[in-house]
Amino acid sequence: MRASLVGKLVGSSVTRKEDRRLLIGKGAYVADVVVDGMVHAAFLRSPHPHAEIVRVDVAKARRSPGVVAVYTGEEMKAKTNPFVNFAMLAGLYSPVFWPLATDRVRMVGDPVALVIATSRAQAEDALEHIDVEYRLLRPVGTMAAALSPGSEQLWPKNGSNVVYEHTDTFGDVDAVFASAEHVFTERFSSHRQSNQPMETRGCVAEVTPSELVFHSATQSAHSLRWILAIGTSRAGAVDTLKALKANRVRLKSFGKSAKEFLTANKDELSKNDNAGMIHQVRRDPSTLRHIGRLFSNTLALDARRLPRVVAGDIGGAFGVKGHPSREDVAVCAAAIDLGRSVKWIEDRVEHLTVGGTARDETITMSMAVDNGGHILGMRADLVVDQGAYPAVPFGAPLFTRIMKVMMPGTYRPKAFELRTRVVATNKAHYVAYRGPWANETWARERMLDIVARRLGMSAVEIRLRNMYGPDELPVKMITGPTLDVEMSAKATLERANALADVDVFRTAQAQARESGRLLGVGFATFHEAAPGPPDYADALLPGGGMISSEPIRTVLEADGQVSVFTQQVPHGQSHETTFAQVAADELGVPLEQITVVFGDTNRTPFGLMGTGGSRGGPMAGGGSMFAARDLRKQIIDQAAGLLEAAVDDVEITDGTIHVAGVPARGISFADVAGAVRREGKAELASSVSYDGGRGGWVQATHVCFVEIDADTGMVSIPRYVVVEDCGDLINPAVVDGQIRGGVAQGVGSVLYEKVAYDAEANFQSSTFIDYLIPTATEIPAVEIHHLQTPSDKPANFRGVGEGGMIGAPAAITNAIEDALAHLGVTVTEQYLPPTRILELMGVIARSA
Amino acid sequence: MSTNEIGSVSAAVSLTVNGTKVEREVAVRTSLADFLREDLRLTGTHLGCEHGVCGACTVLLDGAAVRSCLMLAVQADGTVVTTIEGLAAPDGTLSPLQQSFMDHHGFQCAFCAPGFILTAQTLIDRGQSLSRDDLRSEISGNLCRCTGYASILDSIEAAITDALGPLIDTSGASK
Repeated sequence: MRASLVGKLVGSSVTRKEDRRLLIGKGAYVADVVVDGMVHAAFLRSPHPHAEIVRVDVAKARRSPGVVAVYTGEEMKAKTNPFVNFAMLAGLYSPVFWPLATDRVRMVGDPVALVIATSRAQAEDALEHIDVEYRLLRPVGTMAAALSPGSEQLWPKNGSNVVYEHTDTFGDVDAVFASAEHVFTERFSSHRQSNQPMETRGCVAEVTPSELVFHSATQSAHSLRWILAIGTSRAGAVDTLKALKANRVRLKSFGKSAKEFLTANKDELSKNDNAGMIHQVRRDPSTLRHIGRLFSNTLALDARRLPRVVAGDIGGAFGVKGHPSREDVAVCAAAIDLGRSVKWIEDRVEHLTVGGTARDETITMSMAVDNGGHILGMRADLVVDQGAYPAVPFGAPLFTRIMKVMMPGTYRPKAFELRTRVVATNKAHYVAYRGPWANETWARERMLDIVARRLGMSAVEIRLRNMYGPDELPVKMITGPTLDVEMSAKATLERANALADVDVFRTAQAQARESGRLLGVGFATFHEAAPGPPDYADALLPGGGMISSEPIRTVLEADGQVSVFTQQVPHGQSHETTFAQVAADELGVPLEQITVVFGDTNRTPFGLMGTGGSRGGPMAGGGSMFAARDLRKQIIDQAAGLLEAAVDDVEITDGTIHVAGVPARGISFADVAGAVRREGKAELASSVSYDGGRGGWVQATHVCFVEIDADTGMVSIPRYVVVEDCGDLINPAVVDGQIRGGVAQGVGSVLYEKVAYDAEANFQSSTFIDYLIPTATEIPAVEIHHLQTPSDKPANFRGVGEGGMIGAPAAITNAIEDALAHLGVTVTEQYLPPTRILELMGVIARSA
Repeated sequence: MSTNEIGSVSAAVSLTVNGTKVEREVAVRTSLADFLREDLRLTGTHLGCEHGVCGACTVLLDGAAVRSCLMLAVQADGTVVTTIEGLAAPDGTLSPLQQSFMDHHGFQCAFCAPGFILTAQTLIDRGQSLSRDDLRSEISGNLCRCTGYASILDSIEAAITDALGPLIDTSGASK
């Protein structure tokens, strides 16, 4: 099986196909898009965290030079459908909200009005002439305030600021805790963080005579397309009925597709009860009315108005651009309304304020252990602050489901319980940020160190004692998914332990302490479902397997080039190179003969996942392999006729198709394409929908060494080691880049970055001088060691996009506690800037 | 003056951009970055923060690395400006520095690339030897969110080594 993987390209750090244009300044990022007659958008944003909008006066702004149009929240509401959540979880309240704030603002930066002008500068000038009267409401500025029954409610229909509550129990937790020799409990808190890609969000809604082209920096072109269609297809009941009547063909075809979908997914759908939707509709009956209307509006939509989404080069995202935004819908609606192309490029202050925030979470964790350090049970109480609005199309509540599955790690507790609450506060809205569930690893790995220290064990010892080893595989995690025979978390830990040489370090640490230097080492081990085993999706959500397959289409073009079409939207992950490597090896052609096509919903296969969840390599990489393999068969079939040879005798060598042993008398891919055309046959192409096969896990152990300056509290990282196993590496330089980038963001999150608010939810970090992105002087060198557990999987690729960020906060905070352990310090916060270190050391007094 | 009046005041500028003489009438409030991107359609210069921290908009102004977001176009009157579009040869051959970034997988999303490349170019042009730590400091005015900087440092180090010889070895110097 693996023989087919042995090619020249897969496994090699070939240079990137995308680099030439990017290095000479000829990339095409969304801010670079210019279309005829384009006008520019700017949003008026709320200065208050929580207030009622009493009056918005835009008269003067409408007269401002260059202004084309001004929309208030109410005016935009009349032209759009609201954001409504369809995939309701049991216990979730998901508010109905609109592109612009209507009755209330719920966060600093909430969009209140939209100005369209002939230049961005004129649009911004006009914002200053809008007069808004607010009636201030009590802000909900902390998680504690949100949980307090007396606090002002962001969404009164819910009756509480707790928008999601759920408890999952596995095994007899009470009995296990009652009989354990020790129970240790700590409350861990992580701070609000933000993705902050170097390119902000943005779009150009281009109105052409034949279609609406929506240029966007999006991670998921197809889901954005449908959110835009739903959001902007507002029509009156009479018009909708007329259109539906006129569009019988469409209705019929929709009915057919719906039936096909229901039949194909009968098993998955039957697992899902309607408890979530019932819970929602009880709180907000208007949900049903909105769903009915936007459904019929979208069905009645003139096909020419279904936006075509086009993504070009994207300047990073890390999750934030997977969420279609309120601004996207408002700009699209304005372009439709005006019949003119509209451009919106967010500035950095906006992006820091309302681009998206994440990971503001507390986890109170208890571990029941015996005297031998065996973990018998785990119990955790998780609270997530999702801020003012839920993420679209899904956000914090869904990611808590991943935390539920992953929190026990590769350890073997007999019982586990997670209570989850998601709260609303007047802070910027939640978005996915690289490994959105990562705090399951942080809390667990932090807790293991605390338990080990209290029992007098080493950090490595407690992990090795509790971790599933190869002799126990396969085995099911207590939360459901199978750890297959290739699960190698323990092997990564063992190798990391050998590399770290902790005994030697302890001697150095003791000597350093005598001279006042503080050294520490921290370990963290995790596994990630990238893509996960086949039973992973079911553990996540009933019916969760429905959207998990990955479409890839390969086509032999007339000139002999092969195109690989993907719904993935790369934004730094090098998919143009890596998918081409996989396809080229299958086809036996050089890299230059492959073109990866992405980003344009008119050209790429339909898929709602886009790029995220560390799925690009395993799912689209695997899909590219099988779609290329199938295309190769078709090419060889066709070539056999041309060569007058048996199919089994035809080979491909360096892009030439020939009879085995006679490479000199070969034909080219273009010859084959020409023959297909002359014979009047359809082009040679293959479409696959890859389900991930047997899937599998990616796993790693991180080891962080720190030195803390006892005078200043500054933490430096003299050495950082990652031992990981992601199966076969398509392009090692790309893999290492993903890991290093993830670790760098982990370093930033622990030592430098914090989205800051005061207790009244006033925003305090609106520039890069307040929100500190680490520079080259702060990020350590990262040693990376790859384990590759032997596998007979035909496509043995697993994802590495998120792992760096999952492991790093745990390893770094563990190292910091290790450096301060002799002072009796227990680290329970994730944000540890110098002042906090000095507080923990008792050098300066604790601030409130 | 009101903001609208400021928006209506313009002035003539004359400068050399990537070897070509450019003369334009611009609104006085136009930043050099917007002038390059919008008036000259040189969109290789990127705007990451527009408050002078991220360095993505770095261009060379009379040979010095400057932030084009913090400078007005009218202030660049009479200067010689090099943008990322001005580094490769006319036939498309990458400059040695650009080639080094390709060879070492320097960037991922590459939005920050123009700033890093132009900042690094000044290090080569300066011709002074430096250590890896010096190099870290020299590029610490440019932010990258994707790479963790190792691949950027490797790319620049290789290009400097080719142009000026090996970096100063400080591995035995401290601690």
